[in-house]
Order: sequence, then C-alpha cells, then structure tokens
Amino acid sequence: MKILIEREPLMASIQNVMKAISSKTTIPILSGIKFEANEQEVKLTGSNSDITIESVISREEDGIVNIHEIIPGQIVVQAKFLPEIIRKLPDNQIEIQVDDDMNINIRSGHAEFKLNGQDPEEYPQLPVLQTENSFDIQIDLLKMLIRQTNFAVSTSETRPILTGVHIKLDNNELGLVATDSHRLASRKITIDQVENLSFNNVVIPGKSLSELNKILEDTQDTLQISVTDNQILFRTKHLYFLSRLLDGNYPETSRLIPDQSKTVMKVNSKDLIQSIDRASLLAKDNRNNIVKLVTQGQQNIQITSHSPEIGQVEELLQTISIEGEEIKISFNAKYMIDALRAIDSEQVLINFTGAMRPFVIRPEEESEQILQLVTPVRTY
Amino acid sequence: MTTWVDLESYQPVAVKMLQHSITRQRIAHAYLFHGPPGTGKQEASLLFAMRYFCEHIDESTAEPCHQCHSCKRIKSGNHPDLHWIEPDGQSIKKDQIEYLQKEFTYTGLESNQKVYVIMQAEKMTVNAANRLLKFLEEPSRETVAILITDHAGRMLDTIVSRCQRVQFHTLSNLHLYNQLVEKGLTESTASLFAAMKIDVDQAVKWNEDDWFAEARKIVIQLMDRVMNSNEEGYLYLHQVYLKHFKGRDALEFGLELLLIWFQDIVSFHLDKQGSIVLIDQKERLEQYHYVVSLSEAKTLIYEILNTKRKLAQNVHPTLAMEYLILQLQR
Repeated sequence: MKILIEREPLMASIQNVMKAISSKTTIPILSGIKFEANEQEVKLTGSNSDITIESVISREEDGIVNIHEIIPGQIVVQAKFLPEIIRKLPDNQIEIQVDDDMNINIRSGHAEFKLNGQDPEEYPQLPVLQTENSFDIQIDLLKMLIRQTNFAVSTSETRPILTGVHIKLDNNELGLVATDSHRLASRKITIDQVENLSFNNVVIPGKSLSELNKILEDTQDTLQISVTDNQILFRTKHLYFLSRLLDGNYPETSRLIPDQSKTVMKVNSKDLIQSIDRASLLAKDNRNNIVKLVTQGQQNIQITSHSPEIGQVEELLQTISIEGEEIKISFNAKYMIDALRAIDSEQVLINFTGAMRPFVIRPEEESEQILQLVTPVRTY
Repeated sequence: MTTWVDLESYQPVAVKMLQHSITRQRIAHAYLFHGPPGTGKQEASLLFAMRYFCEHIDESTAEPCHQCHSCKRIKSGNHPDLHWIEPDGQSIKKDQIEYLQKEFTYTGLESNQKVYVIMQAEKMTVNAANRLLKFLEEPSRETVAILITDHAGRMLDTIVSRCQRVQFHTLSNLHLYNQLVEKGLTESTASLFAAMKIDVDQAVKWNEDDWFAEARKIVIQLMDRVMNSNEEGYLYLHQVYLKHFKGRDALEFGLELLLIWFQDIVSFHLDKQGSIVLIDQKERLEQYHYVVSLSEAKTLIYEILNTKRKLAQNVHPTLAMEYLILQLQR
C-alpha cells in the first residue's frame, strides 16, 4: 500500500476516528487505526467494539486534490502515536508506504518514521449493511431527536435494556422512546419515502447516541440510517458511525401513557422551569429532590419544597388555565425540569390523573409528536 | 497449534464428550472445565471457541478449520466476540464481571454468537460469583460460557450446578516427563517439572531462567539446615530464603519444592525408588530419611499444605514461613 496525501484531510480523519478508540481495550487490535486504500478513496476505521467510526477521504473533492497517489492496500497502525506524528510532520504532503512485512514508512519532507503495523486481517469485520434497509433524515433533526429522548435513558445496569433508546419505524412514522422506569420521553416524526420499510425493537445504547450527537455537526445535510440485526449505521458523506445494539426485548411502553386525565393545566414553560428550579434548591440535598405542586383555584399553583434540616420554600405561580379537579402532587424536580427543557415550547399542557398516577407533559402545538411522562413520588 | 486429535491422546474422555456435544449440536450454555493444571483445559476452550466461530464448519467433525479469519483471530486473541477473563491480581473482581455483563446486553460485533472464558474461575470474589450467577441462570441466546478451574471444590455450588462439568484427568507424570526430555531438559529437571505439573512451554521458559536454578539450590540448602539440629534454619530463612522468594507466586513455588522433598522422603521410606522425583539428590534423601520418620514426614507434608492455605488466606508471608520452619527444624 502507498498513499501520498495532504496533511489537513488526513489529520481531520484521524481525529474523527480517534473518538472511537479507547486506551483500555481488551482486544489488542482495537488499539489501532485501520487504513484501507482503494483506487478512489482512503478509509480510516477506529473502534472500541461498542461504537465504530469510519472516515473516508476521497481522492478529489470539489476540485481540491486530497490524495495525489494511491496504491491500494490495508494496514492497522497503532493509534497512540499517530495523531502526534502526523501533526508534527514538517511538510504538507505525507507519504505513507507499507511493505509486505507490515512495516509502515511515513515520510514528509526530510522526516521519516518507521512504524510497526498490525495485520488488517485481524481487525473485526464490520457487517456489510444493505442499503435497502435504510432511510434518510436531516442531521439537525436527528440531533434534536437525540436531545429530546436520550436524557431519559436509565443509568443503572439492573435493567440493561433500559440504558438504550428504542427506535421503531412503521407507516412512515419514526418513534423514539427512552425510559428509566421513573420517567419516559417519547418523540415521533414523519419520514418520507420509506413506504416499504418498518422495524421494531431496535435499541441503541444511550452512550452511543450521546457520542454520535457530539460528532455530528449541526447542519441541514441528510444522513442515512441503516439497521441490521446487530448494528446500526449512521452515514454521512465522509463519516460512518456504527453502533452495536442492545440485546433483548424493549418493554411495551404505549400502555403506560394514560389516555384520559382529570386535571389539565396549561402553563408557561419557562416560568414553571424557573420556579421548580428555585424550589429544588433546598431539595437537592435530599435523596429524591422532591418538589410539591398544589393547584389553587382556576389560575394559580403553589410550588413548595421543604427539607426538615434546612428549611422550606414556597412560591405562587400563575398559570394560563387549570381545568378539572384540584390536585396535590409531588415529583422529582430534576425529572420535571429535564422534561420541560426537552419539550422546548413556550407553553406546555400538563395532564394529571390523580396524585399517584404518572402525568404527561406535551407542548401546546403539535402535541402528538412529543410527550414526556413523569411518575410522581409518594409523600405524606 | 493443538487439534482435538492431539488433545484426545491424553484427555480421551473430556474430548470425546465435547466433540459429541459439538457434532450433535447440543452445546450447553455453560461448561466447567476442571482438573489439575497443565491438563489441556485452556487448549480445549480455545478449540471449542474456534469451532464455534469457525467460518468453514464441517458438520461431520468437531475440528475447526484453523485457516479462516475467525480461527486465526481467536489464536491471536483478537476476536471481538470472544471474551477472556483472567484474575486481576489475587482475584477476579466484580468490575470484570460487570464488564462481561455489559458486554452481554449488547449484540455481538460480528454476529450474535458470543463466548466467554473465565480462567481460574475459583478466584472470583463472592460478589463477582453472584453477579455471574445471574447470567448463568438466564443465558442469552447463542452465548456459551466456559469456566476453567483447577479446584472445582472451591467454586460456589450454585455456579457448579448450572454448568456442565467436564473433568480433565490428571496426566501421568511420565507423559509430561517424556515431552520435557524431548524438549532437551535434563532428566532431573524434567522429572521435577513433571512432578509439579508445569506445562511444557512454561517449563522450557523456566529452565532457562537463573532464578529457578537458584531457587532449587536455596531449597536444598534450607533442607540441609533444617535437617541438621546444629544449623539455624530460622536464620537462613531470613538471610537468604525470603530474599529470593519474594511475592506470593514465588513463595508458593518454594513451598511446592519443599513439598516434593518430603514426598520423596516418604517414597524412600516406602522403598518406592521409582516414584522419587529428585533423582539427583538420592544421597541426601537417604540421609534425611534416617532423621525424619515416616509418620513425621507425613505430618510435615500436612504442615506445608497448611502453610500454602495460609498464604492463600492472606496470612503475613514471613510469619507463615517462620512458623513452618520452626515445625520443620529437627
């Protein structure tokens, strides 16, 4: 293998794939970056077995030549030293040459590095993802979907399946659900041109999604999502992000969402967040961070919190409207704030069905699309 | 690389059983390979994993192809869906089992098949064992666990009862001895290593290690001192012995050597010349067997075994050794 490549695109690619490489890995080969060169492009792969990132440098793009010379081949290079080496090379053109004994020769200007490579055959073989099983989505939309659901995944390993976000595609509708069994976040969007495609019970680990969210830039470009049995691929023009899925059956969540309500409250989201945030100042030390909400008449709600050792806080908040029965309910302030922030709407509707039943928060407009559910806390 | 055929020559029963379960596609979700060290447990688990992941499976035999990507990567330790867990220091810790647990909630990297091998499984802490129990009880599909241990008796009953047990028989010392002599070890060293059940590769490595030769010499000198009432074995222990045998593994090794000395004294008493291990030390043995009676030798063997147990239970090594020397001193 031999490539003569510009430094800038190579450096950017290395930095991308380095995000997937972890310093402590149980599989020795995964401490390396795999280089794969064919006639048109050079592909770099990094993996920590949970997520895999591939970055493609094409030979020529928009009239700019990235790679001047390619002799196809493959090699795995130790990732620990590579970024520093490439960054500090004197010249802007870098020549990487690999001989049959897997010795790597990196040359730039008058500097020359000789590194030991590893056998590319040893590298995990990634599944070949069929393109039929895929659909397109805008990157900024996907990022929003992740932001609105991923916070609700469980962090405890007692029910591992809940550490992921469940994705379902059916009838042109893509649904994401995340829950840690105390709260639930659900988001649906309509997707075009996927008439023949449907899948269910695809659970992506929450950690992979946060990583993906970090890597993707907020643009309006489209991204292709393909799903197989054990992996999911997010594919942009230059970057492929693969993640393993969680194994198991995701619990049926649709039954958890109450379809009727006894009290409906319409409230300014920002005011409510601030008020609960203030109340939770005293409750934070407490294990459950509990805040109590009591309706007063048709207009006002009272938000209180008290912790016996510190003191108490009380605040009256004017709502836009309250319909139905009076209610006294306690809940975890953090869950409530997370939910309200994720909704990101000026006014929200909160549907209560009694003090012991979970309540549902929806934005005022497009209320079918996004839903946050929080279970109350029993207090005396 | 070993094949099932090689392995079958010295582990006929275990190998037959595994082969049948493979060819008849009745693979259990968990196996416990138990038997003394150096009996091919690890080789068997490798072969098993290779055949499980092999890309060119021949239905008629249990042999993997040894050629495909998967087989090669299993040999080099780079297969992403095969997980090896080895004790981290003294024991297998909870974190290591937690790692496994996490690994099993994910789908496989290449396929949905997964194998995990736990070496020296008896060294799991109680916490780790209990965590492991949880997924031994509810195995996920296409997952095989192989637990390897030298001491099945030290494992939790609840774990043992959930595994299919595969017993690896003690190799005859002669088999190992012949292998070692073939590798060019001297007869006396080969006989010693064979008695200690050290596997061939390890034995060849140690044979070239000065530390080992020195260790043998020091144990002989210690024997000289404790067998002679005028000499101070106790001083020798502090001046030389403990300086050489540093760390738990080394101490264990020293005790193993001492044990062989006393076993030989017993053999001498019983006039079983054939089973003497230290063939180059017959003069000393003859001399010592006048000093130590048969029943005394037996008691001392118990003392040495007791010291080994104490070390495993974290008794201060110096104190444990001092106590032993006081017992040995004639």
